[in-house]
Amino acid sequence: MKDNSDFITLKNITKYFPGTIANDHINFTLGRGEVLALFGENGAGKTTLMSILYGLYQPDEGEIFIEGKRVKIRSPHDAMKYGVGMIHQHFTLVPVHTVVENIILGTESAYLSNINIKKRVKKIKEIGKKYGLEVDPFAFVGQLPVGMQQRVEIIKALYRNAQILIMDEPTSVLTSQETEKLFHFIHDFKAKGHSVIFISHKLNEVMEIADRINVLRDGKIVGDVSRNEATESQLTKMMIGRDLMIPERNSTIFTNHKEMLKIENLTIVGDRKSKAVDDLSFNIKEGEIFGIAGVSGNGQEELAQAICGLRKVKSGHIILSDKEITNKNALSIIQQGVGYIPADRHKEGLVLDMSIEENLFLKNHSDSSFINYGFLNQNKIQQKAKTLMKNFEIKATSPTSKAMTLSGGNQQKVAVAREVNIGSKVLVAVQPTRGLDLGAIDYVHKTLLKEKKEGKAILLISTEFSEIMGLSDRIGVIYRGKLLKIISREDAKVDEIGLLMAGITEGQANEKK
Amino acid sequence: MKKNNRDESITVKSELYVKVEDNNFLLNFLPVFSVLFGLLLSGLMMLLLGHNPLIVYSNMLNYAFRDIYNIADIFAKATPLILTGLAFGFAFRASLFNIGAQGQFYIGAVLAVGFALKLSSFPMVLVLFICFTMSLVGGSLWAAFIGYVKARFNANEFLVSMMLTYVAIAVMNFLLGGLLKETKGEYPQTDVIPESGWLPSLIPHTRLHWGFVLALLVALIAYLILWKTSLGYKIRMVGFNRDAARYAGINVEKIFVIVFFISGAFAGIAGFTEVNGMQHMLIEHFNPLIGAEGIGIAILGGAHPLGIVLSAFLFGALKVGGNLVVQTSRIPASIIGITEGLVILSVIFSYFIRDKLIILRSKKKLVSKERKRL
Amino acid sequence: MNVITGLLVATIRMSTPLMLGALGEVFVERTGVMNIAIEGIFLMGAWGGFVGAYLTGKLWAGFLFAILVGIFCGAIYGYFTIKLKQHQIVTGVAINILTVGLGLFLYQLLFGIPLLPLTVEPLKDISIPFLSDIPIIGSALFSQNILTYLAVVLVAVGYWVLFKTPLGLIIRSTGENPEAVDVAGINVERIRFITVLGSSALDGLAGAFYSIGFLGLYTNEIIGGRGWIAFAICFLGNWDPLGILIGSLIFGFAEGLSVVLLTSNFKLIPNEFLIAFPYILTIVATIARRQFNVPAFLGKPYIKERG
Repeated sequence: MKDNSDFITLKNITKYFPGTIANDHINFTLGRGEVLALFGENGAGKTTLMSILYGLYQPDEGEIFIEGKRVKIRSPHDAMKYGVGMIHQHFTLVPVHTVVENIILGTESAYLSNINIKKRVKKIKEIGKKYGLEVDPFAFVGQLPVGMQQRVEIIKALYRNAQILIMDEPTSVLTSQETEKLFHFIHDFKAKGHSVIFISHKLNEVMEIADRINVLRDGKIVGDVSRNEATESQLTKMMIGRDLMIPERNSTIFTNHKEMLKIENLTIVGDRKSKAVDDLSFNIKEGEIFGIAGVSGNGQEELAQAICGLRKVKSGHIILSDKEITNKNALSIIQQGVGYIPADRHKEGLVLDMSIEENLFLKNHSDSSFINYGFLNQNKIQQKAKTLMKNFEIKATSPTSKAMTLSGGNQQKVAVAREVNIGSKVLVAVQPTRGLDLGAIDYVHKTLLKEKKEGKAILLISTEFSEIMGLSDRIGVIYRGKLLKIISREDAKVDEIGLLMAGITEGQANEKK
Repeated sequence: MKKNNRDESITVKSELYVKVEDNNFLLNFLPVFSVLFGLLLSGLMMLLLGHNPLIVYSNMLNYAFRDIYNIADIFAKATPLILTGLAFGFAFRASLFNIGAQGQFYIGAVLAVGFALKLSSFPMVLVLFICFTMSLVGGSLWAAFIGYVKARFNANEFLVSMMLTYVAIAVMNFLLGGLLKETKGEYPQTDVIPESGWLPSLIPHTRLHWGFVLALLVALIAYLILWKTSLGYKIRMVGFNRDAARYAGINVEKIFVIVFFISGAFAGIAGFTEVNGMQHMLIEHFNPLIGAEGIGIAILGGAHPLGIVLSAFLFGALKVGGNLVVQTSRIPASIIGITEGLVILSVIFSYFIRDKLIILRSKKKLVSKERKRL
Repeated sequence: MNVITGLLVATIRMSTPLMLGALGEVFVERTGVMNIAIEGIFLMGAWGGFVGAYLTGKLWAGFLFAILVGIFCGAIYGYFTIKLKQHQIVTGVAINILTVGLGLFLYQLLFGIPLLPLTVEPLKDISIPFLSDIPIIGSALFSQNILTYLAVVLVAVGYWVLFKTPLGLIIRSTGENPEAVDVAGINVERIRFITVLGSSALDGLAGAFYSIGFLGLYTNEIIGGRGWIAFAICFLGNWDPLGILIGSLIFGFAEGLSVVLLTSNFKLIPNEFLIAFPYILTIVATIARRQFNVPAFLGKPYIKERG
């Protein structure tokens, strides 16, 4: 066993936020030369705890010790002084600035002096060489691929002499190749005597990279095991507090059902003027769930937006039940029975300041059955809300409560309820379970399966592999705007799909061998 | 590196009207407290001049409510304020900033006075109707331009509305110097408009005219539109969450134009009420702060028609009482403007206090919940 | 040729306060805050400048006082919008309403209501020998008052600070992604507050230009919307000091043109049109200028502890 003199100790750390306890009297230790995984569901309190260690938040109770000495970390400045660096889930980079500018931000002591760019670039290149993290110093960060951006974040921390790196869900936006490179770096970093705190909710990665695993649930640490002793089921049980149940899949496949949604040679130009979607074709039958797997940023969002009329298509066709809906406006597509469960429900799905009632009514704003001579039929709106709330078990004090008072899971239920109601023919679900607790995830999955039984065509876009595998009838893997392959669920092999997601087709994989 | 055009040039979260779930006495009466605080600060300014603020304020109250004439004057003064307040408040509900109400007011006034002068031989009902309609149309088109350039070119509506106001002033001054100039030709002002263009008086021997009733009606209409119609629903949604509105299939750009159109209409009508109801002519530099005061009133009133009406009454009382105090003592007239500004600042400060209180209370609730659990 | 020289001189002179105001606005907006109180602070600066100069008999005292007044107003605006995180447009409008009354109030407090407006001897021009004798452009470029020279120097310095120094990098990053600055251990609120104070100081100085640098008196209408033009120039100049320079010159030209034509007998274009011309120009430019480098977080208060 390595020299385990505790490098960092957190005692009794507690943090309140309006409405919840994010960290509940947590005790936590980290040794030198150790990779410690913080494992838990979304919302368990992992990021909050590390933010306290990094000085972004102040704990309401508790103390921090570094090498046995009690310290106060009032800001990231203090944290960096003690050698703590953090790589956040959402990169804290300035897209319009260069790599150098991003890295040196805040490190110069003389505010009003000419920056010696050459010297800085030299140091950055040295760090890059030492850890195998090469990057072009003069590239604009916003134009770099995501894996490169993460590299910049890492170099940022190393430039400030970080001895410990806290990584918050670092692989959520990486391809499997990039993930491999990251793990390689972590091993290297550890070998040089440093430590890493690896926050993740992905079991397989945690098992691969960690020396020791701390499991968080509801703001408390419920388990502290070394990797050698841990088993997957044990960890999962600790994470969710009960045994994981896989939803029973309806294995009936409708063979002779007609095509509901057809995508034909679709090409979409993205925000960066390059092709986000490139000559894409597939179809979805009635009563079928078509899953699109892929690392985010490969065109899925643009595809979903185009289907819902929120983005113009450059060429190709979108056909709904034999009717052409390419480039039609969003309202008419909604009225033709296409529902959309968005990835970011706070931004795209709900209006938090409005009541639940008003949110459920959101897509009926031009529906004449609710409107008399321009005036809203309040009764009908209330009726509908009551029905939907009952059918979808949305827990709230009353339909007139504001949407922001609901829990994350209930908020998503509102979005789901509404879209399922609107989407009489097609449902487009993009990352529908992101950020939800297991109970809510379960509920969304059950709902999708139920709607499939009703005969709707469902397009499921997700980066959660298990979700795609668990729900889809057929799976397409998207990479750089193209569908590399479409396979039925029975034929799908996990390794093959993983490679496809990184853009490596069968032929190339064979070559590598 | 040049960036691509952003979807929204400036977005600011609107927090003027977060309704509090629990009926907490303190939180709901915060606006009242802050008004009093603003008056307190203004009182301090009076002390600087060697006047006793208590005497000044009690005089203000006495004068304002001394007789029917003055009480009626409060509502007469409140009339255009209600309308310009509605103009800003209505647009604000869509997270849009119509800073150009002053200019739209002037355009409405110019059209109202022009038609009143030219149509002198027509019957009163017709003259008033035409003046009303033209002022409404003028104000709304002047504002719709802003909405249009925002929708089409993503222009910064703050800047455009600001600039358009100065253009409106130039237009008005140009007309006052030529086309609309009084027959005497001495001053940059119009003749008094013939009686066929005068809004009838509501209470005899006072300045209160039917424009006041019109203003209240407009407030009612604004309320109905925003909360009872599908258009209003769309407007509020665009104000709360533009992205969600787009995803719901709402034509956000169309809403921009419609909102500015309606907002400008309100401001234009204010021009009608002032010209045909109060001044009965058009003078250079008249009511130069009506637009800004409207913004202040909208803030005070929480961008809600009822709040706006009540706030306009408050400002009206301030003006009437204040003017009389100024006439009978040596306090300069500018104290009124200062009081208004301080009251608005106090209200803004109170929003901060309110937000802090809400957070504190939910933290307290949580701790007590925890204690119960243990 | 006298007309052209006169026009050039007027252009550069009238661009001076616009340059100062716009420069300040560039710095503050680059951190993500709009100084909406700009028009009101210009006015307070004009008042402060006049009061300081009249009471002490020295112009430099007036300018100094104007700067202090500007900083004071900026502190109030900054406190409300940055510390209390209240609405920028709403607070700015409140301050603008306040200053209109306040300027007059404080003027009357000090001087009562004089029969004739009080005056001060405004800034004299300083001619640089030899250079100012260059035909046509000589007097325009090298025979201006000291504030004008100062303004140009400040713009150059501003450019260097913004793009070549660590402070400038921090300022620019704050407006693009305040979180990046926060996690680097820098206090976002402090940076924003400092730039608000700095821009308000410049606004005060700019306002004083109108009262004691140019006209020699103070009235409530002395600014007449020019604070807003400086505000617009910041947008139109693409938040770049060099762009500010060009924008200020254009608007200085528009103003100079209207003054020259007003005083001449060229009555072809109505006066009001000339007065309105800068504003119309702004509108056209705002519409035409579609490619903006808008700081990504302009107008949004930075809230750290999210629930």
